[in-house]
Amino acid sequence: MRYVKLHSEYFPEFFNRLKEVGRVYGPVRHNSTYRFEEVNSIDELSLDYTRTILPPKKFFIRPRDAMFKIQKNEVTEVDGDGKFVLFGVHSCDIHGIKILDKVYLSNPPDPYYERRRKNAFIVGISCMPDEYCFCKSLGTDFAMDGFDIFLHELPDGWLVRVGSVKGHEFVWENQDIFDDVTEEDLRNFKEFEEKRAKAFKKSLNKEGLADILDLAFTSKVWKKYAEKCLGCGNCTIVCPTCRCYEVCDTWVRAYEALRMRRYDSCFMPTHGLVAGGHNFRPTRLDRFRHRYYCKNYFDPEAGFNCVGCGRCDEFCPARIEHVKVLDEVREGLI
Amino acid sequence: MNPYRSYDARIIEVKELTSREKLFSLKFLDNEIEENFTFKPGQFVIVDIRGFGEFPISLCSSPTRRPIQLCIRRVGRMTKFIHKMNEGDIIGIRGPYGNGFPMDLMEGSNLILIAGGLGMAPLRSVLWYAIDSGKYEKIYLFYGTKSYEDILFRDEIIHLLKHGEKLNCHVKLAYEVETPSCIYLERGFSEKVCKGVVTDLFRGEEFDVENSYALICGPPVMYKYVIRELLDRGLSPGRIYMTLERRMRCGVGKCGHCIVGTSVSIKYICKDGPVFTYWDALSTRGLI
Repeated sequence: MRYVKLHSEYFPEFFNRLKEVGRVYGPVRHNSTYRFEEVNSIDELSLDYTRTILPPKKFFIRPRDAMFKIQKNEVTEVDGDGKFVLFGVHSCDIHGIKILDKVYLSNPPDPYYERRRKNAFIVGISCMPDEYCFCKSLGTDFAMDGFDIFLHELPDGWLVRVGSVKGHEFVWENQDIFDDVTEEDLRNFKEFEEKRAKAFKKSLNKEGLADILDLAFTSKVWKKYAEKCLGCGNCTIVCPTCRCYEVCDTWVRAYEALRMRRYDSCFMPTHGLVAGGHNFRPTRLDRFRHRYYCKNYFDPEAGFNCVGCGRCDEFCPARIEHVKVLDEVREGLI
Repeated sequence: MNPYRSYDARIIEVKELTSREKLFSLKFLDNEIEENFTFKPGQFVIVDIRGFGEFPISLCSSPTRRPIQLCIRRVGRMTKFIHKMNEGDIIGIRGPYGNGFPMDLMEGSNLILIAGGLGMAPLRSVLWYAIDSGKYEKIYLFYGTKSYEDILFRDEIIHLLKHGEKLNCHVKLAYEVETPSCIYLERGFSEKVCKGVVTDLFRGEEFDVENSYALICGPPVMYKYVIRELLDRGLSPGRIYMTLERRMRCGVGKCGHCIVGTSVSIKYICKDGPVFTYWDALSTRGLI
């Protein structure tokens, strides 16, 4: 990996150069929450944000996404839009995108996702955990790949890690604003990472988690929390790795329809419903448990399906805590 | 290549099978696709009615025969719509999807097909493939149906009841509701037709369990009883194949509706299935 330094004074210029790559989307504050929105100047950005409501998956799989335009018998593929920059993505969200890549780029690749993935220029940023984050225990607190460039905060600027060919090209073409990394910068980088590692308040015990959950299929804990759960599906919509979608055709004019896909949630009773009225997950308990099984599925190559971003905890109206549920299930088994 | 794009197909024949099911014969408009479209028994396609939506349907014709056929029961909004379509109308088809039955693996063995209701549709594909290829020892078909009026592919079934032995095919039928036509049928084939459920048809049958494969398709409630019957007779779980149903939206393992299993094994019915062995069912919760 290549490391360069970006001095604070060049930061506005760096941002302007990014705008030449494509539209820039970054975290913007709205009262107590943050959203990824299009930004035109650095004043709009909130770089010390904790987490956005919707993760960056919304740029690759849209909440509502047109697939085909249907006119009489003519079906045309809806084309994606141009290049864009995702500015200030945390490492847990980068890991989230990597998990989506595994699904959407596996054979056969999803053309819409693939196109947007190619159009994206991802700029990661270092962060400080809050009371909801448990990414450290899942190993997603540091990204080694999946980004183009990654910014690490230093007292007088940023340590930049270059993670892809696109990132290299950008640094190469804009050499005038980047500098070499000094010993002091590395010391500061190490200090920041140590401080960060100590700041985590929550951790998930993942030791044999997948097996323990499998054994605890009939645990009473599922039932307890399923009764508390409101079944709203918030946790699935804000999850960086939840990706269920539903397809529906919408008429836009008398002779023109759009085939749309939109987010779906496994908390909705219709999720497991098939023609004829048979439902494969009829109760809330079934659906609640299913989400935990899906999130904690352990893929020997890719790890868990959860990245520990803490969104499901923060945006749960019933205040159900992911880690607490899993810990209780573990305790209940022994 | 967009895997979600469907190909135009013309409905060349619509046949009413029962009051709820119709058989649609299809031909692709593009000659190249029509010639190259092959599939394995047990696979499914996604039917696309442009402007209304998509739904998955298993192929019920044999790969050895043309045209390709779909047996569609009228149960919801989409199937109601396609039931109103006529010969000459155009629909979209994409697929085939899924793994299908391992027909090559089963060559030289007995096939025990166990169908319940609409489960006859995917197994018909296996049935005719097995009869046409002649590579299988003996074919049993146990078919449980509600009444005479609900027998799918009634002509073919009656034909096989009469002349099945010549084709190396042993067909038996169980019905639930007694109607005059059923009694008439039972009188004609007293050894092969009876009132009861599909497991009643096993009575008096002897199979060589070392050299047989069971293939099951039917309503969810049926699997438990049929599998118990087969295991009691000594059939190994690895020789029991079943084809399952879930809400498959995309067919290519993306949309997530058909995910089953737990934290140690997750399966996509559309991609890893819809055909599974009983071993899979034992290691994956929620499969059946």
